[in-house]
Amino acid sequence: MKRTGLLSMLGVSVLAISLLAGCSSKEKLHIYSWADNFNETVISDFEKEFNVDVTYDIFANNEDLLAKIKAGGGGYDLIQPSDYMVETMIKNNLLEPLDKNNIPNYTNIADTFKDPTFDPGNKYSIVYTSGVTGIAYNKKYIKDPIDSWEDLWNPAYKGKVLLLDDNREMIGMALKKHGFSNSTTNETEIKTAVDDLKKLLPSVLAFDTDTIKQKMIQEEGWISTVWSGDAAYIVKDNPDIAYVVPKEGATIFSDNYAIPKGAKNKALAEKFINYMLDPKVSAANYEAIGYSDPNTKAMEFHSETYRSNTMINLSADELNRVEWLSDVGDSLQFYDRYWTELKSGRE
Amino acid sequence: MKKKGHPLLGIHSALMMIFIYVPIVLVMVYSFNNTRLSGDWKGFTLDWYVSLLKDRHVMEALMNSLVIAVVSTIAATLLGTISALSMRDIARKWRGPLNGVLYMPVIIPDIIMGLSLLVLFSQLQIPLGKSTVMIAHITFSMSYVYVVVNARLAGMGRQLEEAAQDLGATYWQTFRHVTLPQITPGIISGALIAFTLSLDDFMVSFFVAGPSSTTLPIYIYGQVKRGISPEINALCTLLILVSITLILLAQYVLNRGKGQKKHKMLPF
Amino acid sequence: MNKSKWFFTPVLIWLGLFLIVPMLIVVAMSFMQRDTLGNVVYSFSWEGYKTFWDSLYLGIYWDTIVLSITTTVICLVVSYPLAYYLANSSPRVQNWGLILITIPFWINFLIRTYAWVLLLRTQGVVNSLLIHFGWIDEPLQMLYTKGAVLLGMVYNFVPFMVLPLYVAIEQIDRRLLDAASDLGASRWKAFWHIALPQSKAGIMTGSVLVFVSTAGMFVVTDILGGSKSSMISNIIQAQFLGARNWPFGSALSVIFVLTSLILIVLFSRVMKSRSDRTREGGNA
Repeated sequence: MKRTGLLSMLGVSVLAISLLAGCSSKEKLHIYSWADNFNETVISDFEKEFNVDVTYDIFANNEDLLAKIKAGGGGYDLIQPSDYMVETMIKNNLLEPLDKNNIPNYTNIADTFKDPTFDPGNKYSIVYTSGVTGIAYNKKYIKDPIDSWEDLWNPAYKGKVLLLDDNREMIGMALKKHGFSNSTTNETEIKTAVDDLKKLLPSVLAFDTDTIKQKMIQEEGWISTVWSGDAAYIVKDNPDIAYVVPKEGATIFSDNYAIPKGAKNKALAEKFINYMLDPKVSAANYEAIGYSDPNTKAMEFHSETYRSNTMINLSADELNRVEWLSDVGDSLQFYDRYWTELKSGRE
Repeated sequence: MKKKGHPLLGIHSALMMIFIYVPIVLVMVYSFNNTRLSGDWKGFTLDWYVSLLKDRHVMEALMNSLVIAVVSTIAATLLGTISALSMRDIARKWRGPLNGVLYMPVIIPDIIMGLSLLVLFSQLQIPLGKSTVMIAHITFSMSYVYVVVNARLAGMGRQLEEAAQDLGATYWQTFRHVTLPQITPGIISGALIAFTLSLDDFMVSFFVAGPSSTTLPIYIYGQVKRGISPEINALCTLLILVSITLILLAQYVLNRGKGQKKHKMLPF
Repeated sequence: MNKSKWFFTPVLIWLGLFLIVPMLIVVAMSFMQRDTLGNVVYSFSWEGYKTFWDSLYLGIYWDTIVLSITTTVICLVVSYPLAYYLANSSPRVQNWGLILITIPFWINFLIRTYAWVLLLRTQGVVNSLLIHFGWIDEPLQMLYTKGAVLLGMVYNFVPFMVLPLYVAIEQIDRRLLDAASDLGASRWKAFWHIALPQSKAGIMTGSVLVFVSTAGMFVVTDILGGSKSSMISNIIQAQFLGARNWPFGSALSVIFVLTSLILIVLFSRVMKSRSDRTREGGNA
């Protein structure tokens, strides 16, 4: 029993410490978001300026977030779902409408991100950052010009192709390659795309969403489907990597601010959103985290390196050939089934 | 006894320890690596240790994890041991089904455990937080403790206990001086497994956690998207070093003055 | 000793509230339907179970069982000698051994697994060493293969095997062994007829823990296997998250729990009858 004695001693001291910490009566804002999604300094400035406490809890992906909120997990005032998840959450009646009177800085948002298809009129959400899924490739190994999804199928890159581990993104990519919508509900179109992906399978080194950056930086893979924000990140560590938005078109995505149904501190959450949209605050925030800033008025406060980065600030031409993913309803079952077949190699 | 363990056994065990520790040593080495996306070696630095101590999110998550692990280990060890002991006195026909129930948390996929508990908590209007995470951890850990203590009891007859009671020992005396010493290795092993599981659980904790109860695994899983910070390597290194030091100390304090017990050897 | 029955009451209440009730919710959900939004609709349906009866999901289930059994056997083979050595050492070494085997598993699961990525990748530690010593010319593709998945599984579940084995081996009745050697039995005979049968509870427990933990694991296949193969747990995960088909996910879980329970019962029967035979053989 020696060890249990030791453990309980440890337990008592740990408990004592944790009781001493915390315990204040300030107003609290509970944020539920992606890890390290904000500049820490900006959040503490907000705490000081409005004399409030901000707690910050994290989720790892949209699906986890939805399952948790749907099953009744809550207590959060501000969440950051991606575009298609905003649409799903609206349909599931899980979001509070935003009161724009409390968010006057909303007008600073670029027109491209106002009134998106997933949330007409920005009733429930405001964009936080966005990007486009394109191709990243290593110029050291790939000398041919890359401008099409077709290039992933090039047999010369066998065993060096990396794909996102995400069924909507990847089937959507193959759909785009064939000129279909990335959110089609037509089963024959989906089937065509999946059959094509099956031909790509022998070339695939790995499916990976979160650590595809490391695999490109460390040159395990030569060519991959990546988000533009990640591409900017990769290039910093490995300058041989280039990024392109293929000519057939691509999927655009965004992370957004939204307030879950039943939030206790809705007004404070709106105050926070408004604070984050202030041009100077916005510049300080995005400069630190390196994501794209949808705030037009913030541009003048950004550094030259930030402004000239073509992966953070995509061109109008590139943004012209993108499409949002939208909720596919019951067809999601086809997507899931085909994706399972694809990855397991069984039918 | 002059017999010694077979040398091959010693060699195999040493190799196993190397196998277990190779990745850990790598984590320790990389905690001094001067690059954020821990790929190649880019030179020695202590920066990660410095920024770790300043990072309130990691420290908070670590604290949450430790509190939850300690509390749930103690409770699960108690409940698991009680289950294993009382199972011996339960009528035969009930043993099968009860055994099945006690095995269930070991088998149930984490996501099911997490989601179903979340549904239960939200129906009962129990606010989510550290306490709900503890409840969940106790529920799955106690099964592991039960299973391990059971493995001990299976090889142990009741003759000694009966003899003690025949000689006039009370129930508690028998328990304290006969039963408990016999099952202690089982309890310790069970507690170690419980502690490990609690410290490492992500999926169940994720669903039943509420505001400001982010645990270390939840934090680390969340970080994967941006690349896990080498601060975490530094944290792991400290965690291992502190654990070993604490245990060394405890051993020293508790073993002072005690002679080594003689023990008999197994074949080989 | 009847008092101990009463101590069982709190355990029963706890399990009833936090295990049985949630499980009943899952079983109920497995017989329901989903609507277009992925909400669970309260109307009876066998749909979840019918969907499973399909070569795709049955095949994945089969792969899962094969991988779990392989992991369990390898874990048993590498852990038994270690647990045996430990049980045979002085009490001080025993305590230290137990702790030293467990501590690495106190650092986060993801960190441990990513450490294997650093070891195994094409420019990783292992390949660099092999090339440095001239044993290979081209780096080996070790990562994102079935072998890497197996390695990751074995690595993570070794303690689940070692601890129960140690617990059982440590209490082997050494007087029997003395008697055997007095009667002139060889070490092998003593081990085979006395030590091994007496440690069967440990073998049983360790195997069950490793088997079900492997089958329930999904991150290893993603990280070390490059997400190129699916386990039943990946599918369950996907149903609750991406595919939003909770009834199907629940049905898969019910099937998974039931088949695991059946396998455990069968396994314990086999273990029992085997050791009974050995005992009879020993008596003869």
